Amino acid sequence: MSTALSAQHVSVSFDGLKALANVVLDIPPQRVTGLIGPNGAGKTTLVNVLTGFQAPDEGQVFLDGQPIGGITSHRLRRLGIARTFQSGRLFGELPVIDNLEVTGVGLGLSRRESQARAEAMLDWIGIGALADRAAGGLPYTDERRVAIGRALMMEPKYLLLDEPAAGMSAEEADDLITLIRRIVAEMKCGVLLIEHNIGLVLNICDHIHVLDSGEIIEDGAPAAIKASEKVRHAYMGTQAEAGGVVL
Amino acid sequence: MTVTQRSSLLVRTISTPIILIVILILIAVIAKLVGSGPFSRTVVEMFIRVMLVAGLYIFVGNSGVISFGHIGFMCIGAYAAAWFTIPPAMKAVTLQGLPDFLAQAQLPIFLSAALAGLLAAIFALVVGRIMMRLAGIAASIATFAMLAVINVVYSNWDSVTGGTGSIVGIPFYTGIWTALGGAILVVIIAYLYQISRSGLALRAGRDEATAAAASGIDIVRERLIAFVISAFTIGVAGALYGHFLGVVNPDAFYLGLTFITLSMLVVGGMNSLSGAVIGVIVISTIIQILRWLEKGIDLGGATLSIPNGLQEITIGLVMIIILMFRPAGLTRGREIVWRFGPWASKPSTAGEVAVSKNGA
Ligand SMILES: Nc1ncnc2c1ncn2[C@@H]1O[C@H](COP(=O)(O)OP(=O)(O)OP(=O)(O)O)[C@@H](O)[C@H]1O
Ligand SMILES: [Mg+2]
Repeated sequence: MSTALSAQHVSVSFDGLKALANVVLDIPPQRVTGLIGPNGAGKTTLVNVLTGFQAPDEGQVFLDGQPIGGITSHRLRRLGIARTFQSGRLFGELPVIDNLEVTGVGLGLSRRESQARAEAMLDWIGIGALADRAAGGLPYTDERRVAIGRALMMEPKYLLLDEPAAGMSAEEADDLITLIRRIVAEMKCGVLLIEHNIGLVLNICDHIHVLDSGEIIEDGAPAAIKASEKVRHAYMGTQAEAGGVVL
Repeated sequence: MTVTQRSSLLVRTISTPIILIVILILIAVIAKLVGSGPFSRTVVEMFIRVMLVAGLYIFVGNSGVISFGHIGFMCIGAYAAAWFTIPPAMKAVTLQGLPDFLAQAQLPIFLSAALAGLLAAIFALVVGRIMMRLAGIAASIATFAMLAVINVVYSNWDSVTGGTGSIVGIPFYTGIWTALGGAILVVIIAYLYQISRSGLALRAGRDEATAAAASGIDIVRERLIAFVISAFTIGVAGALYGHFLGVVNPDAFYLGLTFITLSMLVVGGMNSLSGAVIGVIVISTIIQILRWLEKGIDLGGATLSIPNGLQEITIGLVMIIILMFRPAGLTRGREIVWRFGPWASKPSTAGEVAVSKNGA
């Protein structure tokens, strides 16, 4: 099987509600894979499945061809799969530097090593000045960047970002695009990007999957997605009506 | 790009335990200088409570799980010290059910105290393997059940514990210096745990369990480590308490002390070691003033006194008032750090950050 983090025919339901239905999705290394879809489509649920937080009812998750079902979620991190959360979920009462150090400690590093790696990571992202700030009171944009830093501390092969640009201005979103490009190029990381900001997704992704009501209704290169009548109908329609993004 | 230059964790945080220890030493010296018997006893009791509350903090402060059970570890430690140190001739009469090796034993006090702590720690390891899987309110209720079970066992296993009556004959030993040594020991253990890998992992899990798991943290394991270490310190405190009173009985280690130690932790601020120590000092002072008032104070002829039993009510009120104005406790969950001169600590340690959300 191919080198990728891969969901194969994954289905999940909550109390009869089908959150994911027979989903097939590959996250290849050193590529940005997009995942879009309306609210409640099942995007976060798919991330949860790929990172071991949610056991699928059917189907399997493969890491470079090896099934990784049944491994507890905290051990799964050590395989090189990292994620951020839609809601941030920083350790609010710890300083920013400690937020990153936790990941080092989780990998088995000493505190001294964790601190060194965390400092290097903050500088790499360009937020070294935040090191001693309490993570709880950070503005949105900084919070997102700290969360990405915390995930990158794992030196992951695959990084799953759940709506990292939510609430960002256009300028801040541009900075995020730059950061994601650097993550792919310099950290040799495969990225899954969940985002409602369609412009951002079309701009940066190599391949895009569209999820609607738990099903992948389309996947392809950005140009193909942009042109797809099906996508426009199922996804963009609802967004446009809601006053959202229009292509 | 500027490279973040920061000193090592130890250098940044060491001022906190040093300041706390200096405060404790000052209190001991003052007590020695005053020299009054009752005041000395109050100070010894206070030091033992520092051991209890700082020990409790190791688990509660870092994990965020309130424990109602830790005084049970004190019970285990105090009885163990009684078994290890009461002269065999006395044990042959009062504790006939003791196994031979205990009935014959008469260990040196410090060895006995260490073993008492170890026994509490082993017990914590066994029950903790199950209990630490629980979270939030379920975990707290389980600790409460543990306390009740320990109390029932020690109250009824007459041939080994003397039942609800008191065991007498524990050698007197604990004075101000011993108690001070115990308090300093626990402050150091709590500090070292707080800056350890496990301490950081547990604090992360306290703030955001899911995100901690995503960072590779096994919260159940880290909780268990903290639970066992805190049981050890409280077991040792129980032993020193036994050598202070010379007597133990199971009801000394039950709800009253559980309430007081938790109040101290909450009032001081349960998210910092400084909070634990400050809470003990503040509440102990209030208790002492109330004791004086209960006895009556002579005010130029007229005697002012308050009815007995007002202590718990007053502590309860004080707790409510302090928490109204400082929901995160007197220290607001921060550590006391040295901010002056060449040894100035930069803010930011394991727990040394403002609590920004009002208990949310
Ligand atoms: N733990 C759960 N229990 C019950 N239902 C759930 C649970 N998690 C998700 N769901 C439901 O599953 C569906 C998919 O949710 P999911 O969070 O994956 O959507 P999403 O695509 O991430 O949406 P959004 O864009 O709003 O983040 C929703 O209908 C949601 O209500
Ligand atoms: Mg979502």
